[in-house]
Amino acid sequence: MAVITLPYKYLERLTRTDRKTILDKVALIGSDVERIEEDHADVEFFPDRPDLFSPEGVARAMRGFLGIETGLPAYSVKPSGISFTIDPALAAIRPVLGAAVIRGVTFDDESIQSIMSLQESLHWAVGRGRSKVAIGIHDLDTVKPPFHYIASPRSRKFVPLDYTEEMTMDEILVKHPKGRDYAKIVQDFPLFPLIVDSEDHVLSFPPIINGERTRVTMNTKNILLDTTGTDAKAVSVAVNIICTAMAEAGARVESVTIGGVETPTLAPAERTVSVKECSRLLGIDLTAEEMAVLLRKMRFGAQPEGGDKVRVQIPCYRADIMHDWDTFEDVAIAYGYERIIAQPPATYTVGKPNPVQVFASLARDIFCGLGYLEVMPFTLTSEETLYRKMLRPEAGGALHVLHPITIDNTVVRTDLVPLLLEFLNMNKHRELPQRLFVVGDVVENCITYQKTAGVSIHPNADFSEAYATADAILRDLSIDYCVRESADSAFIEGRRADVMVNGKKAGVFGEIHPAVLNGFELEHSVAAFELDLRAVPGYPVP
Amino acid sequence: MAELTQNEKRLLAVLAREGNAEALHLARHLEATSDAVVQWAYLAMDNGLATVDRIVEKGFVYTDEGKKYCEHGLPETQLMEKIGSGTTLAELQKHEAFRIGFGQLRKKGLVVVKDGSVSNVDGASTSEDEIALKNPGEGGPRVKELIKRGLLQETEAIRYSIAITPAGELAVKQGLDLREEIGTLTRDQILSGAWKNASLRKYDIAKLPKKAYPGKIHPYQRIIAEMREILLEMGFSELYGGIVQQSFWNFDALFQPQDHPAREMQDTFYLKETLPLPKGYEKVKAMHISGGETSSTGWGGIWREEKAEQCVLRTHTTSVSIQYLARNPNPPVKAFCIGRVYRRETIDTTHLAEFEQLEGIVMDEDVNFGNLLGILREFYHRMGFEGVRFKPSYYPYTEPSLDAEVFVEGIGWIEMGGAGIFREEVTAPLGINYPVLAWGLGVSRIAMLRLGLKDLRQLHHSDIAFLRETPAFRRTGGV
Repeated sequence: MAVITLPYKYLERLTRTDRKTILDKVALIGSDVERIEEDHADVEFFPDRPDLFSPEGVARAMRGFLGIETGLPAYSVKPSGISFTIDPALAAIRPVLGAAVIRGVTFDDESIQSIMSLQESLHWAVGRGRSKVAIGIHDLDTVKPPFHYIASPRSRKFVPLDYTEEMTMDEILVKHPKGRDYAKIVQDFPLFPLIVDSEDHVLSFPPIINGERTRVTMNTKNILLDTTGTDAKAVSVAVNIICTAMAEAGARVESVTIGGVETPTLAPAERTVSVKECSRLLGIDLTAEEMAVLLRKMRFGAQPEGGDKVRVQIPCYRADIMHDWDTFEDVAIAYGYERIIAQPPATYTVGKPNPVQVFASLARDIFCGLGYLEVMPFTLTSEETLYRKMLRPEAGGALHVLHPITIDNTVVRTDLVPLLLEFLNMNKHRELPQRLFVVGDVVENCITYQKTAGVSIHPNADFSEAYATADAILRDLSIDYCVRESADSAFIEGRRADVMVNGKKAGVFGEIHPAVLNGFELEHSVAAFELDLRAVPGYPVP
Repeated sequence: MAELTQNEKRLLAVLAREGNAEALHLARHLEATSDAVVQWAYLAMDNGLATVDRIVEKGFVYTDEGKKYCEHGLPETQLMEKIGSGTTLAELQKHEAFRIGFGQLRKKGLVVVKDGSVSNVDGASTSEDEIALKNPGEGGPRVKELIKRGLLQETEAIRYSIAITPAGELAVKQGLDLREEIGTLTRDQILSGAWKNASLRKYDIAKLPKKAYPGKIHPYQRIIAEMREILLEMGFSELYGGIVQQSFWNFDALFQPQDHPAREMQDTFYLKETLPLPKGYEKVKAMHISGGETSSTGWGGIWREEKAEQCVLRTHTTSVSIQYLARNPNPPVKAFCIGRVYRRETIDTTHLAEFEQLEGIVMDEDVNFGNLLGILREFYHRMGFEGVRFKPSYYPYTEPSLDAEVFVEGIGWIEMGGAGIFREEVTAPLGINYPVLAWGLGVSRIAMLRLGLKDLRQLHHSDIAFLRETPAFRRTGGV
């Protein structure tokens, strides 16, 4: 999530209203006000609206939402006459370049900070950590056009930002903090992307670091924006968002020529949407004119086209409008969620419980009747708990997660009794007897199904108790079962049995082996029972 | 005055006869142990009917060594008797009492050693120590010394002298019901009618019973069951599905772009297992790349089959409901699923790597955003939350999207869950031709509020005391 700092004075000037009016309503366009400070507010915006990641963008949206200035914001773009060439060798490395010239900027500490933080938020939300899009901002007056985006040998030297000595690009990846952070994006390529001017001065080594030469300072008047990446759409959105934010702040945007194409245009996209479709989806009755008014409040251009249609111009900074429904959401926001009548649908259906949960509930009822207390352990556990402490071989179908966070969460449970023994260990200081049960999912060979298990710990817990408990549950679940000698090493030999249903092993019960008790650091005997609930007649087997 | 126990009455009856008596003596009359008599006497004392006098008597007993010296004299006495004129130290050393006796004589200053010969000091005597040993009586410094030497041990004897008070005498005079008290009625007494003449022991209701702990459903499970019942009442069908899901169903079918941050391995538990893509997956692929046959532009870029085949621990139950919709594309569908979902999070008091999610879907001709708000309001009202409001939000697979907030007394508005209408990019490739309203909520958030928990882990690593003490029923709904 992007948390944007909004300095009140700047925001008020841009929005042309007071801070209270803005802060009272800003949540209604889709945000969370995180903190209200003396001179600024921190507000969180959603990742689908990178155009709101700057005070300029927020002011633009709020002017519309508050009715101060509605409709499509107009941005004029003059050609700068500056051009870029693109080296064809970049096609396999980092093919896309976007750029613009922004003139007449006035920087102070705050506005440099604001543009840097917009740049960082875009790197995160649009750029996917700079791999998809990386943005560079330069003092245009330190370099000489035309510019060249080239695939350079890695031994090329220049002075990177925040340094005074030259380094090779290979060295930058090792020595420069930004180099280390982003090396993985480029390190496998034989040549590295580089932007140079007509005199071979380095502007930028995208997506890693700019050159020190073009550093933006408070004296900077004219900016050159470079945006490189792997996805043309994302690169263009990033350019548009920065250019329009700077234009909102009073700067003039000029286009450049890249491979013969004049860019950016900052022109809106167009689509024609259906009023009826919108009304039906939202459940509010709208005329074409009403819909157009609402869209203009959200800074779209919108004209009723007669009949059911509204023609919509989508501002160039709106990355999130992919589908007609995306404009309908804006209609709903402009209309106000609080004004939409909340009315459950008339759809008639009959509630139907899932048999798996019905059986789980039954198992709970029976265990409770036997005086057992339900626990709900995690499904992620370790081989140590599931197998080693139980003196059992690892189950063949156990599921291992690829990148566990801790050694306690490496595998999805295949059995429940080990987790209950863990519980008994955690509750050693509590009054005995303790009788615990669990019903829940286990996974074997990617198949999820349910098991139930119970344990009873007290000085007289024994095989007979385990057998009686198992028998009561199996009878109450109408499971036709027989028992056979078990070979389960978690139990004491001669005090253990497998539950057999239709010739297949469906469970086990008995007295836990003292070596297992030692492993779980338990001090009394434990009678235990575990059952595969697929043995219940009627359990849905996929 | 509290009701007298049968034993108190019996004691008073005997005391009225015997007057002032020792507990031991009374015990013989009452055919009980003296400890029991003392206990009854204290009860009677609490009622002002008797007095109990606790008398402590000190005494001494001999150790084995002390007993020996009592017969043969202390080692120093024995040794002193051997000392005549010209007795040498070497001669004395042969005596068995030398080791202890000589040390004592030197310590008490009763002998002098000069040029290898030993002589008694004038008037030397051990007789006072001998007397103290044989008759320790009331103690004193010499006896204390003998205790230190391990020859005597101090003992304490406690006697109880019990007397009846005038109030007790009055009670006896007024007559005591001395019939045998019955604790548990026997079958015989019930059938024979003997109960009619029996005196049933009365219990002290001010005394709390020993706690019984019934078998119980987990308080968290109870909340899950409550939500489940509400949704069943509202006409929803319950879904159950696997924990292991293909990325295709967990992400791609829900129009999550393949480079979406939520799909990175920092956030999702990936598995080495893969599954073949379902038939017709190409439509989902086309949707991602170009928007398929809808008004959508799609995400553009590339879409890789291998990425969609990889299995994950489901990050939401939407992976289950979307497959249900794909299998049941004909309206109406109203379904819900409550199940565990997984996020690759470091576990702490407010984050778990696995937690319960509730998810509901409604698909029908002409269902709309207002209907979604209606369902949510109804659900939260039934959960006991009076104040419910909605605000814009963002989820990759719904449009429009919203967050629901409920009002909690003393806390304010709390975000409870997200909702929206499935994007056409989600429904169209699966052949679902009607709007699908969908909402989800974190069940544990409500559980934390209801149960007043500060640590989410307590839901899963529960202290048994918490489970035993949490009431099964709470009067108020909501929180």
